[in-house]
Amino acid sequence: MPGAPSRRRWALALVYGFLLTYLGFVLFPLVWLLLSSFKTRADALALPPQIIFTPTFEAYEKLFTAGILMPFGNSMFVGFTNIATALVLGVPAAYALARMQGGAKQHLSFWVLSTRMAPAFGVIVPIYALMRTLGLLDTRFSVTLAHLSFNLPFAIWLLMRYFEDLPVELEEAALVDGASRWGALRHAVLPVSAPMLVAVAILVFVASWNEFILAFILTSAEARTVPVLVASLAGTMAFDWPLMSAVSAGAMVPAFLLVFVVQRHITRGLTLGAIQ
Amino acid sequence: MAVGVRQRWERATMLAPGLLALAGVTLFPGIYLLYMSVMGWTAFSPVVRFAGVDNFRTLLRSASFWEAAGTTLLFVTLSTGLSLLLGLALALALNEDLRGRGAMRTLLTLPLIVPPVVAGFGWKFLLSSDVGVIGAFLLPLAGIRVAPMGDPQLAMASVVLADIWSKTSFMFLITLAGLQAIPPFLYEAARIDGAGFWAQLRLITLPLLKGVLIIAVILRVLDAINTFDVIFVMTQGGPGTATATFSILGWKIGFTYFDLGQAAALAVLMMVGAVFATNVLIRRTRLAG
Repeated sequence: MPGAPSRRRWALALVYGFLLTYLGFVLFPLVWLLLSSFKTRADALALPPQIIFTPTFEAYEKLFTAGILMPFGNSMFVGFTNIATALVLGVPAAYALARMQGGAKQHLSFWVLSTRMAPAFGVIVPIYALMRTLGLLDTRFSVTLAHLSFNLPFAIWLLMRYFEDLPVELEEAALVDGASRWGALRHAVLPVSAPMLVAVAILVFVASWNEFILAFILTSAEARTVPVLVASLAGTMAFDWPLMSAVSAGAMVPAFLLVFVVQRHITRGLTLGAIQ
Repeated sequence: MAVGVRQRWERATMLAPGLLALAGVTLFPGIYLLYMSVMGWTAFSPVVRFAGVDNFRTLLRSASFWEAAGTTLLFVTLSTGLSLLLGLALALALNEDLRGRGAMRTLLTLPLIVPPVVAGFGWKFLLSSDVGVIGAFLLPLAGIRVAPMGDPQLAMASVVLADIWSKTSFMFLITLAGLQAIPPFLYEAARIDGAGFWAQLRLITLPLLKGVLIIAVILRVLDAINTFDVIFVMTQGGPGTATATFSILGWKIGFTYFDLGQAAALAVLMMVGAVFATNVLIRRTRLAG
């Protein structure tokens, strides 16, 4: 086949062309936001755009002086509280479910899927009404609780799938030695599950960190989270693009750090969660 | 059997806290939502009265509901369809033994962890006809002078673009995981039989990937129906109501007009729609296969 090698080369070039174009599409906004966050306001608005410019930390300094760091603290609080709650409540329940037979698991799968079907404002309407009645609007507590409505079922489900795949022999030895189920969980199952626990913790954190509408409606000032801050800055049209870019960059940092530390577990967790 | 009792007791202590909390944060809001949907309930009037199906009737008779239905359908179709195609193409490409495969896979997953709000803001910034490097520089350079956020069709296109940017990574990851589960010897056999790329795709890859793709599409459709953040940040549903999907309409009804009863009714209808769409997707694909 004389034509084959050159046809193959063309196909390869096409594939690379497609991949590089798409990568450019993915990276361009991120790089642009990062660059803009190091510009002065004048540089950020300059057209034609300045690719080469003198970087400044003005926008990041403003982050500290303008008193808009609180949302970062709030988001951290909500994220870590979600991790703690989802794991402390979720691990034992997921483990018990994994060792059970029959209908309960089916129900749980449906439960998890139904939380994905629910429109966010469908969740927020009852929670908002409740928090209003309790006088808990604009508190970190209300946001934490709202986020658990998707994080808890997700965590239980992922962990259940994981525990199901663990070899039972692991804990049987402990059980034969007279340990309780709790003991087996603590001494035989948990030590080998650390990577999965970390993966679930990160997925919970990222979901909470990125969530917008629930936090947006439940908070107004004190308890605003980072996405709420981003949206309010983007909505003011104050045209401080470097500041908005700096906030956006800051909004990406924690999740990026977490994910890059444990990239492999994340991918596994995500695909596991999606496919099974 | 003392052991049996003990084990059952232990199991209960393990399950109870988690499942009770789960019921508290998911079941309770669900039931409360149903209750609210049949009540006349505005955030300002303290009187809550039974309204029966009034909320549903008002909603179904309003023009904005049907307009939002069309907009949602358009948005969901475009966003799901395009991210499915792109995700599949990317996964197929990066399932091959290419140079730089690992790095490209990692970079492609980046949008997954970017808050959708930031994705929306970033694209709004880029596309802006006042200051955006695309909207105010590259497009005019190419002789195109438009205001993407000011034109109904372009606004929809912009929102879909940002959503695709944000969500294709997810489709890519799932599809790639599905591809990796296909045993390589099938392709070897096909190659020996002289099957080319398209024949392999049609006869091996797609049939074996079907299950994964169905799940990916279902999750993606559910996600697209409920998308709020990207649209809100970019257009707030505008210009006019050009990008006002059900989620945006629900937010407006519930939290700018403060008619919580009607917002609850809309949420219930959306849930029913989502369950229906999921069932249709599952049944259709099952019949086809």
